[in-house]
Amino acid sequence: MSDDGGLWLLAAGPAGATALYWALYRYYRNTDKSHAFERETKVEAKPVTGSDSKVDEIKGTREKRIRGDNVTAYRTRVKRIRGDTS
Amino acid sequence: MPGQTGIDPATLPDPIRTELEAPDPVAIDTSSKELEDGVNRCPKCGSTDVRQKPGTDLLVCLYCRNQWQSTRVEEQFGLGEGLDQLRGTVIASGARDIAADAKSMMTFKCSGCGAEVTINTANAMTARCHWCRHVLGVNEQIANGAVPDAVLPFHIKKDDAVARIRQFVDKRRLFALKEFKEQFTPENVVGVYLPYMIVDGNASADIGGQGEIKTREYTQGSGDDKKTYYDADVYRVDRHVDFTVDDLPLESSVERGNLDTRTNTNNIINTILPFDTKNAVKWNASYLAGFTSEKRDRDVESLRPHLEDQLLSIARAQVEDSVKRYDRGVRWEQEQLDVYGTRWVSMYLPVWLYSYHQPGSNGGLLHYIAVNGRTGETMGSVPVQQWKLLTTALTVGTFIEGIALWIVGHSS
Repeated sequence: MSDDGGLWLLAAGPAGATALYWALYRYYRNTDKSHAFERETKVEAKPVTGSDSKVDEIKGTREKRIRGDNVTAYRTRVKRIRGDTS
Repeated sequence: MPGQTGIDPATLPDPIRTELEAPDPVAIDTSSKELEDGVNRCPKCGSTDVRQKPGTDLLVCLYCRNQWQSTRVEEQFGLGEGLDQLRGTVIASGARDIAADAKSMMTFKCSGCGAEVTINTANAMTARCHWCRHVLGVNEQIANGAVPDAVLPFHIKKDDAVARIRQFVDKRRLFALKEFKEQFTPENVVGVYLPYMIVDGNASADIGGQGEIKTREYTQGSGDDKKTYYDADVYRVDRHVDFTVDDLPLESSVERGNLDTRTNTNNIINTILPFDTKNAVKWNASYLAGFTSEKRDRDVESLRPHLEDQLLSIARAQVEDSVKRYDRGVRWEQEQLDVYGTRWVSMYLPVWLYSYHQPGSNGGLLHYIAVNGRTGETMGSVPVQQWKLLTTALTVGTFIEGIALWIVGHSS
């Protein structure tokens, strides 16, 4: 085993303490909870339409996901394009 | 006349003309003319001692035991229909703008004896005349925002709410603040009608960004230098969705709408949404006898940015399934929302609230435990004993660190 792998283990104590603190704190205070209106509201949508076009290829990246992946972060707002009507 | 420019609209370009000639926002009139003198009489015997029958949507006359129900607004005003035909801003009469000079104190002349009775609509909607014992209720849709279009009566009874709160806290005792545990009396829970705007919407959204599909995964190097690499195709992704939203609840009080968890625990009350708003009945102050209420202080226009934000979130959730093939995820970069039509109805929704004030800097923090008065959904904020929580976390951390040190010591 290299020194690298061993030193990494030393972070386990502080990391465990922090994780436990936050998990318990959130269980008591529920600061992360809110109304899940995306799922709990009655929404009727027409079939989603759209387009997909290949624009680039990436070779040999070490990142597991696309940078800035926000496909499940519904409430994070991105640049708003204003149409004529609004 | 105000609003007139003196220019013939026919000479103006089309878009401006359409805007000028567009009709004023249409209102759904939900006012009850027969109740406007402030006296809710039993339709059978004429007594004013009328209350909600606990656990039901019925009103009961305490004098002759006659029972009846206020009409459901859903059917009477067609609130569940034609969502995809919705155009413009439709505002029900109880959701109209609050007049700047409107007072929350209202004085009634008791029609029983002529005495003057004052009701503070900021926290109550009924009062008993102390001379002749007539019950007076605020039913006229005055422009102070106190009278909504509809009300959803409590179904969860107090005993039930107390049991739910007790159960919620019993699961969170070990690290709870000592003072909180000592003073814990769930019997002090209060039934409150909180003001909401129930919004229907017809909108479409366009969302654009980039997505990646993995084409190859390989490792290079050996032993500890082994590294994983990925190849991917990058796509430009655009999505469009037309959708309608039925009965989205928005807090229509400035205080309750502030969900900043650093300064308040209003997110607790937000979490117990939604309510079965389809069953709401036309406003009748008698439903509020024995409960307190909070007054609406936000208008439709001030809630619109909040609504658009939620509509965009809903659109993002709707298109998620259509981008599943991008196994390396999608980064949305821009979004556009077109709202074609909205319909706004103001409602009082029933919440059982237990509160505990934790002293501290900046006035401390008010912790709520809330029970949905219809579904019984319970959520709460229990103050923690910081030193206890910290000690536990540090002890466990030290223990883990001990094991880590042992492993490191024995492996080298």
